[in-house]
Amino acid sequence: MASILIYLVIGLPWIGALLVWLAGDKRTTVQHILAILFSVASGIAAVALLFNTSSTTVINLDAGGVFGQFTFVADGLAVFLAVVATVIGSLAVIFSVDYMHGEKSLGRYYAMVLFFIGGMAGLVLTSNLLLMFFFWEITALCSYALIAFHNDDPKAVAGGIKALIITQLGGVGLLAGALLLFSQTGSYDFNRMIADPGIIDPRILSGMAFGCLVAAAAKSAQFPFQTWLPDAMEAPTPISALIHAATMVNAGVYLLARFFPAFKGVPGWTTAVILVGMISAILTAIMALVANDLKRVLAYSTVSQLGYMVFAIGCGGVYASQFHLFSHSIFKALLFLAAGAVIHSVGTRDMRQMGALGKQMPLTRFVFVIGSLALAGIPVLNGFWSKELVLEAGLQHGPIWAYAFMLLSAGLTAFYTFRMVYMVFYGKPSSEKHVHDAQPAMKVALIPLAAGALLSWLLAGPFSSLLHNSLPAHEIHAITTTEVLMEVLAAPATYIALAVVALGLIAWWQRQHLGGVAHAFRWLTAAAENSFGFEAVNAGIVRLTLGAAQKLRTTQTGLLNWNIAGLLIAFIAVILILVVRG
Amino acid sequence: MLNALIAAGIILCAIQAIRVKKLIAAALWLAGCSALTALMLYLLGAPEIAVIELSVGAGLVTVLFVFAINIIGDEAPVRMPAIPPLVAWLLVILSFGTLAYLNLPLLEIEVPTLVTIPMAASSIWEDRALDVILQIVLIFAGVLGIINLISDNSSRESKA
Amino acid sequence: MTTIPYIDMLTVMIVFGIGLYTLLITRNLIKVVIALQILVKAGMIALVLAGRINGQVMTGQSIALTVIVADTIVAVIALALAVQVKKHHGTVDLDKLRNLKG
Repeated sequence: MASILIYLVIGLPWIGALLVWLAGDKRTTVQHILAILFSVASGIAAVALLFNTSSTTVINLDAGGVFGQFTFVADGLAVFLAVVATVIGSLAVIFSVDYMHGEKSLGRYYAMVLFFIGGMAGLVLTSNLLLMFFFWEITALCSYALIAFHNDDPKAVAGGIKALIITQLGGVGLLAGALLLFSQTGSYDFNRMIADPGIIDPRILSGMAFGCLVAAAAKSAQFPFQTWLPDAMEAPTPISALIHAATMVNAGVYLLARFFPAFKGVPGWTTAVILVGMISAILTAIMALVANDLKRVLAYSTVSQLGYMVFAIGCGGVYASQFHLFSHSIFKALLFLAAGAVIHSVGTRDMRQMGALGKQMPLTRFVFVIGSLALAGIPVLNGFWSKELVLEAGLQHGPIWAYAFMLLSAGLTAFYTFRMVYMVFYGKPSSEKHVHDAQPAMKVALIPLAAGALLSWLLAGPFSSLLHNSLPAHEIHAITTTEVLMEVLAAPATYIALAVVALGLIAWWQRQHLGGVAHAFRWLTAAAENSFGFEAVNAGIVRLTLGAAQKLRTTQTGLLNWNIAGLLIAFIAVILILVVRG
Repeated sequence: MLNALIAAGIILCAIQAIRVKKLIAAALWLAGCSALTALMLYLLGAPEIAVIELSVGAGLVTVLFVFAINIIGDEAPVRMPAIPPLVAWLLVILSFGTLAYLNLPLLEIEVPTLVTIPMAASSIWEDRALDVILQIVLIFAGVLGIINLISDNSSRESKA
Repeated sequence: MTTIPYIDMLTVMIVFGIGLYTLLITRNLIKVVIALQILVKAGMIALVLAGRINGQVMTGQSIALTVIVADTIVAVIALALAVQVKKHHGTVDLDKLRNLKG
């Protein structure tokens, strides 16, 4: 049963991608319907998979001597992320019906989205590290193609190239990890390593651990690679919601969580993970304070929240991090889609040109405020519980300075969230333009997400037993929802965090009186607007790659004679190696 | 002795095929090369293959070459080749030299005498059915290629 | 009677070498096709010879047959392409074709 469902979850979106593409751009209605049908069907299959979890390998395809066994698992971590990818994917597709209405080359758009959904589900469901690398690259490719979807806009193309190159860094790390794993164990299946990290040479294990951290940081836009995500905001907004908030950027966190049992013994690894998470969380929270582009603010906050998850993993709180991932996917997808509705009707992303939109867009305001409250960590919304769990894990197992910084960024989160809501929906109107509220298909996507942001914390108990039952190596304890709630409510960390969040809110409320402080921190503002100089690191990597590619182009003459000469030279080299070695 | 003569003939035809300037002449030398190859295959104990090679390689392909060269016409090379001939020879000899060095022990082998000449046809139909199917597909591709060559020809001429 | 097939082996090597050399220096599309034909002749002899040496006579011969078919198709399609290239671009010189765009 589980094996059929896995095939469906990965295969249905891909079949859909093919059909949408075959339907052609002249039949847009058919394309919309096909995209919705296949993504929703895949979502249903993924939800059905939730009831068929197991800790053993479910599918075992023999792929020959080089690739070994293509294995798929249906354990809690994998299935939960597959559900997030497909369900939020189908909501994003539904949202796109209105958002992308009248756009050119819809076929390319939907085909890439569906291809991405299947690839993302495959990425989390496989237990073969090499296959994971393939899926990882598929998601990177789709991300690139969708960021650069408006390919007549040079900014979009540049953002796409940047995202592609930086996430490739992660791909290279993953490939190296897969080869190392194969050299050590003779198979690409990482579950054996997770069950018993001792089978790998400690030095190689430590190399893999740090390589994995680099890969995860590149994919999840963590320090020092955090600048590709804001530039990726040139993508159509449903893509930002799906790929750059709810799914693909979580792949790095997933990787860390998946390998945590294997790498936690590596000296210095957990500290490095904590540092990466903490620096990302605090830096991007500051950057979000000064950004004026609505989607960029959301992107910075995504990096910041991903920093929380990474931090939680460093502190050993795999459950807390995955639960925060779950909450974050819901409320961030909600925020992005609501922002998409705003951008779609206002026609700009600059928050300074918005203001007082709340009266004209009551539903959008309502869901956006719910998402914002969850992001800020205000009680009873899902973001509150999961963020408290993360902070509690930090207080119990992490260093105290890191905890302090995470608290500070929680306060900053509250501050910039309210600044954003105020600038968009309240305050003075900046234009007389009439705007319309979210359209029907948008509502279909927004309302379930808003309900999720309100209620998904009720699933804390089932979620923990899901992880507990199928992930023996991760040592996650099964607890009921009530226990989670009592634990959060009883912990002192909760009240400290709430106080800091409240401080953030008061700071926003009393912002006129804080002019002096803002003046004192002017240098920080300027630095934040320049991404603290890390833009240079990322731009340097991109420039280096593109430059090398340009230089290598001269070797591709396209002349048959030279190609044959190259063939012969390579042939001679191979023979010489054989002669010398044997 | 006969073997050596045929071998020399094949090599001579091959060299002529690449040396002569006129393309038609090159195609004819190639046909000669093909016919001698068929003869060599016959001596090696593969009469069916030899017949097919003779009819297809020396016959059909040559006709096609003449046909195509008639349409295209001769075109004299204008400049020196990108790779100096000396370097090209060096590359070829080096690659074969290293390969031969690696396979020196193989020169000790001996060819078993053929007791009976088996029928290739039975082998083809019994053991290698997949190959035959593949070949049928290939032949269809070839037919399509020829149709394209001819049909596009006439339509273009009528337009012009 | 047993003989060591030096002559056949040498023929294969020399003919193959001639084919490769042509591929290395020629720029005429038709000459390229001729060179491919020469290469395949060498390959064919080598296959039949290898079948004899191995004792798997029939395998070698049937693969040689496949090679003949494949090679003929390659020649046909390559010539058809060459004709089309000539019609579209007016030349079959590889170096000139390389600089064409579109």
